Amino acid sequence: MLRYLGTRLLGMAVVMLIVATLVFLITRLAPGDPAAMMLGEQASAADVARLSAQYGLDRPLPEQFGRWLMEVARGNLGHSIFLQIPVGEALLARAEPTLLLALLGVTLACAIGIPCGVLSAVWHGRMVDQAVTGVAMLGASMPSFWFGMLLMQLFAVELGWFPVAGYGNPEAPLFFEKLRHLVLPAVVLGVLNSSLIIRFTRASMLDVLSDDYVRTARAKGLPEVQTIVRHALRNALVPVVTVIGLTAALMIGGAAVTETVFGLPGIGSLVVSAVLRRDYPVIQGALLVIAATYVLINLGIDLLYMAIDPRIRY
Amino acid sequence: MTLLNKLRPPPRPARRRSLLALAGLALPVGAASTSGASGASGGTAQSGASANLAMIGEPQTLDPMASTSDLVGTIMQHVFETLYTFDARWRVVPMLAAGMPIQSGDGRHLAIPLRQGVRFHDGTEMVAADVIASLRRWMRLAPRGKTVAGEIVSLHAPNRYTLELVLRGSYAPLLAQLALPAGFAAIMPAATGDGPLQRFIGTGPYRFVERRADQYVLLRRFDQYSARAEPADGYAGRRQALLAELRFIPVPNPNTRIEGAMSGQFHYADQLPVEKLVRFDGQPQVRPVVTAPFGFPYAVLNTSAGILADQAMRQGVQAALNMNDIMAAAFGDRRFYTVEASHYPPGSPFHSDARASDYNQNNPDKARRLASQSGYRGGAVRLLVSKQYEFHYRIAMVIGSQLRKAGFLVDLQVVDWATLVQRRNQSALWDIYITHSVLLPEPVLAPPQLGSGAPGGWDSAAKRAAMERLNRLADGARRASEWGRVQALVYTEVPYIKLGSFNSLAACAASLRGYVAMPWPFFWNAGVAA
Repeated sequence: MLRYLGTRLLGMAVVMLIVATLVFLITRLAPGDPAAMMLGEQASAADVARLSAQYGLDRPLPEQFGRWLMEVARGNLGHSIFLQIPVGEALLARAEPTLLLALLGVTLACAIGIPCGVLSAVWHGRMVDQAVTGVAMLGASMPSFWFGMLLMQLFAVELGWFPVAGYGNPEAPLFFEKLRHLVLPAVVLGVLNSSLIIRFTRASMLDVLSDDYVRTARAKGLPEVQTIVRHALRNALVPVVTVIGLTAALMIGGAAVTETVFGLPGIGSLVVSAVLRRDYPVIQGALLVIAATYVLINLGIDLLYMAIDPRIRY
Repeated sequence: MTLLNKLRPPPRPARRRSLLALAGLALPVGAASTSGASGASGGTAQSGASANLAMIGEPQTLDPMASTSDLVGTIMQHVFETLYTFDARWRVVPMLAAGMPIQSGDGRHLAIPLRQGVRFHDGTEMVAADVIASLRRWMRLAPRGKTVAGEIVSLHAPNRYTLELVLRGSYAPLLAQLALPAGFAAIMPAATGDGPLQRFIGTGPYRFVERRADQYVLLRRFDQYSARAEPADGYAGRRQALLAELRFIPVPNPNTRIEGAMSGQFHYADQLPVEKLVRFDGQPQVRPVVTAPFGFPYAVLNTSAGILADQAMRQGVQAALNMNDIMAAAFGDRRFYTVEASHYPPGSPFHSDARASDYNQNNPDKARRLASQSGYRGGAVRLLVSKQYEFHYRIAMVIGSQLRKAGFLVDLQVVDWATLVQRRNQSALWDIYITHSVLLPEPVLAPPQLGSGAPGGWDSAAKRAAMERLNRLADGARRASEWGRVQALVYTEVPYIKLGSFNSLAACAASLRGYVAMPWPFFWNAGVAA
């Protein structure tokens, strides 16, 4: 187990180094200039050059990369050109809405996806199955911004139940108020991501329901609900957990479109803004943290397999 | 009654206004009417209320001199003020200055009297030393300030409340340059310095409280504000902070701005897509605001390098264009655009028909002939555009198609705004790019191609002479006629092509009273109904 963990952590370090290199290169090779963006329409080339020099953007790329990597190794993700604060601080400030949104979104996706997937498998080929499969396909093909706008019109404009955008008043932070702002984006993420969970749960349940041990359980006269929930579902959950984990990782990494549409000051909208502003340190730092989150969650999923299925041991 | 109607909260009482009535609220450049208080009637404003104002994005900086962005100007004009400002007819009138300058006969010496007893937000009184330091900072940092710096020989204060300027020669646009709220000559305490602003201390009706990037910029009423005595008129006259707080919220998604306004979350939503006007039908809680005319889209042509460095080629491009199709594609609804040759609308002293025949030619044969004369061999015309503004993209699509019809090979390069901004400063990388400008009252203010150093590199002896003549003339009528010659030169040398004029659409909550539509929206004298 320890050896396995050690190997995985070493692999993660290599992955992160590759990610860091790619992120740096892609960011710098893309056209656009943070200094020109900051100074606006009529800034002269000399002004842009001066501001670029101030942030060390005129230095050779290898030198910039080396310096950044050294700072990252020391735990310093750099300083935002636009926000004028350390990148770590910017990410921390944006973490709360993103984490809460991911938590709500994943919870909702599971609450919809797993029962629907189970029902679809149990009533395989019947009306329920067809309805669930159809809805799941619809969910998978619906653009999140469009679904978000629909929800806004219905629940914010027509009914006035939820706010359209933002994250409440940061000066008087009320948790309930923040939750109100998260409901609509969480529904978008939850509903749209549930379709993947439905399909995986359904497929996995169909496999498991035809296994010998399920037939044995039924032959022993166990109630159907108990057979499905305790015997079949538990084993069927292994591939589903992978999907849930990756969905959570994507959401924590920043549900960029959803956050932007709902004006949520989360990590996703921060990355989008940073790209538009060419705020290199923020783009690099945020993508690095997102990648780290992704690989850590992947590791967590692998470890979780052992808890779900005792046959799996590393 | 449908279930939705039963569940919907009752709408706030408000009068519905027609678009035409609203269009009348806007402020045509040089137009006769200035009585444009939108929603001023009916309801009592709550003095303690706050307003949520949805803007198109996050301001790049809050230093009003460091960026020429309209958004920075819109927000910070509430905090900082200028010596002069514009009234509703775009006439320059005093703001922090006590009166118009006293000028010597040759126009080179100006004495500007300052108002006394005007307090900065830190409690200190504004005196001439602060104004001089501010103008020097502006002349060092701001693009417009740098232009003005070339005209100023000296700047000094004979006493605490007077400023004296000595100019190189008579310079007619000076006061308009000092009045413009974009990249503006904001007056701040002398101790501010040239570095990045740490504190935003102005004299405006609102003081800066807090900025949370991508969440809001919060301004609060300045209780010691020294208002002018004259009645409010455009940006000029008495400014009253009726609202206790202004919260400028960046909402980059235009649909979210609209829905936020419809739901009552935002009291004002800026710059909405004009095709969304129908969303306001039957919605008593929100009303559309049209600012007409707002600005003009234009195509900048590269005069310094590439395939269009040749004048006949640029004239060929100009001949190929059909502005009716371009403007229709860009704005759709005729109520939101006009197709006209004059750079200034009827009613403006600068309205001119000079070389109007070169506008909207829609003549592919002539375009082909001109291209052939210049030796065009079918090289690609690189047309640069971003989707930052959807209408830019639609314009580029139509221009591309019209140029192809005239025999040009077109390389349409759709990039993001940051890329466009970078590429247009490198003359080797492009031939045409699409942009737009707010319509400003003084020709030298826009577009930047009329000045020096702007993308496209337009610099000819004829241009220098024409602009020099225009800028040295003080007499209004002679300036208007001189402007006609500049407009004719633009149609001849084709450094840019004005495509038409357009109106902008915004939305106001019915509860927001006293809002007056101007290109840089402002919220003093506006209140929320009780």
